[in-house]
Amino acid sequence: MIILGVDGLDPDLLTKFMAEGKMPNFAKLAEQGSFRRLTTSIPPQSPVAWSNLITGMNAGGHGIFDFIHRDPKNFQLYFSTSKVEGPAHSFSIGKWVIPLGSGSAEQLRHGKAFWEILDENHVHNFVYRIPANFPPIDAKGKTLSGMGTPDLRGTYGTFTFYTDDPTAAVGAVEGGEVVQVDVKNNRVTTNLIGPDNTFLRNAPPSTEPFTVDVDPLESVARIDLQGQKFVLKEGEWSGWLPVEFQLMPFIGNVKGICRFYLKQAHPRFQLYVSPINIDPSNPALPISTPSSYSRDLAKEIGEYHTQGIAEDTKALTAGVLDDKEFLQQSHTVLAEHRRAFDAEFPKFHEGLFFFYFSSLDLNAHMLWRLTDPQSPSYDAAAAAQYGGALEEFYEQIDQVLGEVMARLDSDTTLLVLSDHGFAPYRHSFNLNTWLWKNGYITRKEGFTGDATQPFADVDWSRTRAYGIGLNGLYLNVRSREREGIVEVGAPADALLREIQQKLLDIRDPKDGSPVITRVDLASEVYQGPYARSGPDALVGYNRGYRSGWQTILGQFPPDVMEENTNPWSGDHCMDYTKVPGVLLSNRKIPAQTPALTDIAPTILSEFGIAKTKEMMGQSVFQTR
Amino acid sequence: MFGSHKVKIEGELLEKVKQCSDAAGYESVDEFVIHMLEKETNKILPQDESNTSKEDIQKRLRGLGYIE
Repeated sequence: MIILGVDGLDPDLLTKFMAEGKMPNFAKLAEQGSFRRLTTSIPPQSPVAWSNLITGMNAGGHGIFDFIHRDPKNFQLYFSTSKVEGPAHSFSIGKWVIPLGSGSAEQLRHGKAFWEILDENHVHNFVYRIPANFPPIDAKGKTLSGMGTPDLRGTYGTFTFYTDDPTAAVGAVEGGEVVQVDVKNNRVTTNLIGPDNTFLRNAPPSTEPFTVDVDPLESVARIDLQGQKFVLKEGEWSGWLPVEFQLMPFIGNVKGICRFYLKQAHPRFQLYVSPINIDPSNPALPISTPSSYSRDLAKEIGEYHTQGIAEDTKALTAGVLDDKEFLQQSHTVLAEHRRAFDAEFPKFHEGLFFFYFSSLDLNAHMLWRLTDPQSPSYDAAAAAQYGGALEEFYEQIDQVLGEVMARLDSDTTLLVLSDHGFAPYRHSFNLNTWLWKNGYITRKEGFTGDATQPFADVDWSRTRAYGIGLNGLYLNVRSREREGIVEVGAPADALLREIQQKLLDIRDPKDGSPVITRVDLASEVYQGPYARSGPDALVGYNRGYRSGWQTILGQFPPDVMEENTNPWSGDHCMDYTKVPGVLLSNRKIPAQTPALTDIAPTILSEFGIAKTKEMMGQSVFQTR
Repeated sequence: MFGSHKVKIEGELLEKVKQCSDAAGYESVDEFVIHMLEKETNKILPQDESNTSKEDIQKRLRGLGYIE
């Protein structure tokens, strides 16, 4: 069995491109086999959706409700699928803090993964970069972690941008840091920023120096990083460079890899450095099974991005990379995945081969505006130049499918699927602002603290509901939340229904469109032991609308509705019925409305294995 | 405000504490004991909601493209 998991492959775009003759392999597959829309998860976010696929359960079973979860006892926010922590014990000598034991990375998704069950039944399997598998669970086969894998700094991607432009906004930006440098005698002396040095009190970021000699006349520069010297022309990317951060002399160091891009040598110095990725040849955190696999793959195809979301969307949003440069970086990511595919696919002879591609999702997020004249961030000139860029990524995926179909025999089942589709993201809805303005949240008057902290000025003793994450609505429940006031049972149910109806009644003042087209109650849509562990309701936005940028982390922008002028202009964190994914197969699929939760039972059924009792769905090949 | 309290450690336990303190490089047995007690009490009592750690978490989360 072969499964291509193509994140964000949209059925409407696929249909359009097939009709235009741009995806002949998909067209052939659809004609000879089947093409269905695949019902996505509630909510339709990748960690949730892939967890549905992996376990055959919905969020009530696997416990992943959103990218962002909260601890109701202290409102600590955290990434939903994994937790990375430093060592629990340490001791201090002067300024040094010595860890006793190593740190840990914990997988937070519950439930058995389909490949665990295949392992138990001695079915050979290979799983490449499936999301929500960091750290990778124990497996007999080769697996590589994907979405959810942090960079070496423990973030989801922090680039660094070095410039001598005195007007540059220096310091932390979303997803990166801008560092002011001076060009003295044609030389820049600065530092790479690495992981926090927990060997030192207060854990400052570790740094490693590097120098850049800028040619005074030509637009080239020579970079020296830990004895590695290389030259870049303006507009040129380096390959992967290894870097070692010395955390404690002779005892503690950590290795990573990064890429340099010389954006400009003259008149201004501008140098972009990618997030420091975990070095697959020397991984500081577990990223593969067996642990040697990431290194073996690097030996075969060269170093590669290990960061879960490798496309540097934040650098484009910050204006550090422009459209052309972002596309260059995105194409590098896809090229690495294709090299891995070309290395691994020929080795597949039995069992399950699962291969994941991220490109269509991340590039749809960033490039949607280039084909959407109604997007607030539409730019006609950019559209003329790069409007075909997303289509090119779709065409590359079609090429990969062609390679698969060339090897397909009558004994092999092929599935090509996606976790969700896509929609424009033109307008933001700030749920927490709406809750506040409608009396469900009370904020302290005269607050003088840091308003950027989640719910910093909220008076919980007079707050009945709040929003966290991209789709989550929570009640402030007594005995659940730290300062809960809403009684469980009938009062909570009545409150939830009241808010549900009010949200559904909201209309965009500009054109009367419904902003929210469904609000699913957790009690009605989730089954399993974790059904009550997440949001009380899931807000399903209409196409064109999404949760606003700040409300996700508990802030209160002044307006309930805003235009989305961010280059991140396509999204899918909406009403799940409006962004289905795709399911294609070389076999006929009797199921008319297959869902993500059917995929694990389908996989098991192919190998004669009964699904578990926790799995909600059934094989898509089963007549219903 | 907080006062102080004396604890007597003797015999075999004292020997073990001294050995651990030396091995871990503490400057004194007192420093080692206080540090171990700090660690254990932090496990039981609610942690202070340190703004620094919250900021750190938010900074990490903001690296996700879905969030600004």
